[in-house]
Amino acid sequence: MISLSPEVAKINNAISPLELTPEQTALEMKELNLYYGKKQALYNIDMKIPKGKVTAFIGPSGCGKSTLLRCINRMNDLVDICRVEGQILLEGKNIYDKDVDVASLRQNVGMVFQRPNPFPKSIYENVVYGLRIQGVNDKRRLDEIVETSLRKAALWEEVKDRLNDSAFGLSGGQQQRLVIARAIAIEPKVLLLDEPTSALDPISTLTIEELINDLKETYTVVIVTHNMQQAARVSNYAAFMFMGELIEYSDTNQLFTTPTKKKTEDYITGRYG
Amino acid sequence: MKDWFKSGSPWIWMTAGAVSISLISVIGLLAMIAWRGLSYFWPADIYQFDVRQGDTQQVVIGEIYDREQVPSKRLLNMGVDLKGHQGETVERILVKTGNREYVDLDFRWILQTDINATEKTPGIAVFERSRNGNFYGFVEQVIKDGQPVDNEQLTVLIERAVDLADKAVDLQNGEIGSINYRLERIRLEQKSLELKGELTAEIIAQFEAEKEQLKEQYSVYEKELFQLRKALDRDEVVVRDMRDKLVTLRIADVLDVHFPNDMSTLDKTGRFFVQLGKFVTDDPREANTEGGVFPAIFGTVFMVMLMAVIVTPFGVIAAIYLHEYAAKNAVTKVIRIAVINLAGVPSIVYGVFGLGFFVYMAGGSIDQLFYPEALPNPTFGTPGVIWSALTLAILTLPVVIVSTEEGMSRIPSSLRQGSLALGATKAETLWRIIIPMASPAIMTGLILAVARAAGEVAPLMLVGVVKMAPTLPIDGNFPFVHVDRKFMHLGFHIYDVGFQSPNVEAARPLVYATAFLLVTVIIALNITAIGIRNHLREKYKSLEH
Repeated sequence: MISLSPEVAKINNAISPLELTPEQTALEMKELNLYYGKKQALYNIDMKIPKGKVTAFIGPSGCGKSTLLRCINRMNDLVDICRVEGQILLEGKNIYDKDVDVASLRQNVGMVFQRPNPFPKSIYENVVYGLRIQGVNDKRRLDEIVETSLRKAALWEEVKDRLNDSAFGLSGGQQQRLVIARAIAIEPKVLLLDEPTSALDPISTLTIEELINDLKETYTVVIVTHNMQQAARVSNYAAFMFMGELIEYSDTNQLFTTPTKKKTEDYITGRYG
Repeated sequence: MKDWFKSGSPWIWMTAGAVSISLISVIGLLAMIAWRGLSYFWPADIYQFDVRQGDTQQVVIGEIYDREQVPSKRLLNMGVDLKGHQGETVERILVKTGNREYVDLDFRWILQTDINATEKTPGIAVFERSRNGNFYGFVEQVIKDGQPVDNEQLTVLIERAVDLADKAVDLQNGEIGSINYRLERIRLEQKSLELKGELTAEIIAQFEAEKEQLKEQYSVYEKELFQLRKALDRDEVVVRDMRDKLVTLRIADVLDVHFPNDMSTLDKTGRFFVQLGKFVTDDPREANTEGGVFPAIFGTVFMVMLMAVIVTPFGVIAAIYLHEYAAKNAVTKVIRIAVINLAGVPSIVYGVFGLGFFVYMAGGSIDQLFYPEALPNPTFGTPGVIWSALTLAILTLPVVIVSTEEGMSRIPSSLRQGSLALGATKAETLWRIIIPMASPAIMTGLILAVARAAGEVAPLMLVGVVKMAPTLPIDGNFPFVHVDRKFMHLGFHIYDVGFQSPNVEAARPLVYATAFLLVTVIIALNITAIGIRNHLREKYKSLEH
């Protein structure tokens, strides 16, 4: 079985995710259904994501966990045949309402992808990309934000002398941290991480995991991961998904030690997935 | 044998052979054009031939231009006396004798059997003249201002004459040309006011005063010009030609003299480069069969650049729409296929379209709207460099669209998503990420477009190219860039010199030289573009996963 660090276990003993008060909730999904053409990919998802915590989505490949994550910043809009029913409330406001500006939604909900995707620009320009989009051009402010974001992403010490070098000169792990710095530079409320370490080596993975632990002080973090140890190490809450359905959702400790559903137990004990 | 087939070696040999053949043909083509074109600038030796045909004996002076073998039988059947020559073939040589105004033909074929003696006589001078081509002969006397002077003075006097002639041309094209241009503008302005009904006696008086002033200036320059011409007429040189007669040449007509038989290889090399430089920088003379091709080089490069400036934004914008915004349905597919097929339409068809649409419709309307004062003389309603550039822009549009689209689809979607996830709109993502990253592909499209456009001649003949343009599209008269003007083009120049020339033999080496130059210009344009593309590629090199 997976052992939990005592620290994580202690936090997790708090509240069940089903009993969150509105103040403690960052996101709420209501009867969310998603279709790719005629094929349904998500079935009636109802869940609340707690503010200032790390929530992990786990489950076998193709269970819909990445799709669900991409609903939160409406990345699924890019897929022509994708259709979403139901609601996702961000601070009480449905992000699928007609009057929602997708670009400003994404400024509030940042996202980091599976593979590091720095832009073909300098390290500095990568970090300030989102700010420049917002029209921030004050050099002093940009400098300040670059430093704080890179510090938060635990990359400052490594790159402070070569901010104007191409971002492609960084290693994979550094690039992923740069991408995280880029995402937090625009101070989103929610940070979505889509298997952020799956393309990285173990040492870079460790650094990123430590980083995630720090980030939850400031942001609500939602992470999709294949790796159950990772989910156990970094998350406060965990949701197990299977075939597009939310099977079980509770605090991580409980999910991994005393799963209530048979499918969850089968998955975390390694019967499939 | 079977094993050999199985090993795959024949396949390798076949593919390598195909590459070798292509390579050899390209190199062979370039080498031939370069050799035949460049040898034109090498100062050839001048021979003195003692020729006996039947009873007549004569001396022929000239350079050997070509040699060929003729079957003896054919000549004997024609009743030519071969003087007992044995053998299947007889060699005959083509001699360029120059002196066009004194002999019937400045090129003649001479049978080797008719030649009694060949001598590379020292002291033969080759005069390059501004009229009637070269003159070969021995310098007898140099006359400066009516007085005989030392023969050594010849080059000095020629240099003086060339300087004066240059000054006269500068005066004519510069100051006097500018006055004529301003007079024409005043006339047009007056006409324009008249058409609008705003012409008052006061304005007429003002125009008249301006005209008067310009005419005064003109008479000053005219006097200067006459003085220059008179000064030019001062000197003469007496030359003994191959008929052994004395001929007096005006030094004003002589551009250059050299004595090839007395030159060392080093001298000849020096002269080779000087001649090459003159070819590239001078204006053509004598119906394009002599002189340089500068206006054609200028016209070609100017037109191609104008075309590039037009085609790039259009092609890129069209590609962006097709790739980013157009719905992915049958209509888009049909449009894309249509665009690709446009590249296969014969270029002359574009020329016809350009003439009908741009020149007559667009140009005609522009004239009606903006230049009514010049009518019935067309301003834009006649072939010109802008219409040529537009026609070629349409011709090369598909190339730019296709390669831009390809470049855009090669950009990893993760970068696009990364930008969108940071709150950028689609348009911002396009401007900041997609277009910069697609720029090497855009450059590739431009390279292909330039290569195609610089070599096109057929459509240009309908929409703007001429045999001889009196002025360049850029000059010192306001507004400095005249895109309505007709222009010269190297490709058309080759056709014109090679096939429309009154003197085919004289023009032949020029055809090769011009062809070589055209290839050089296209390669230079391409290398510049490739350089820019490689720089961009390095800059936007996307992640290698």
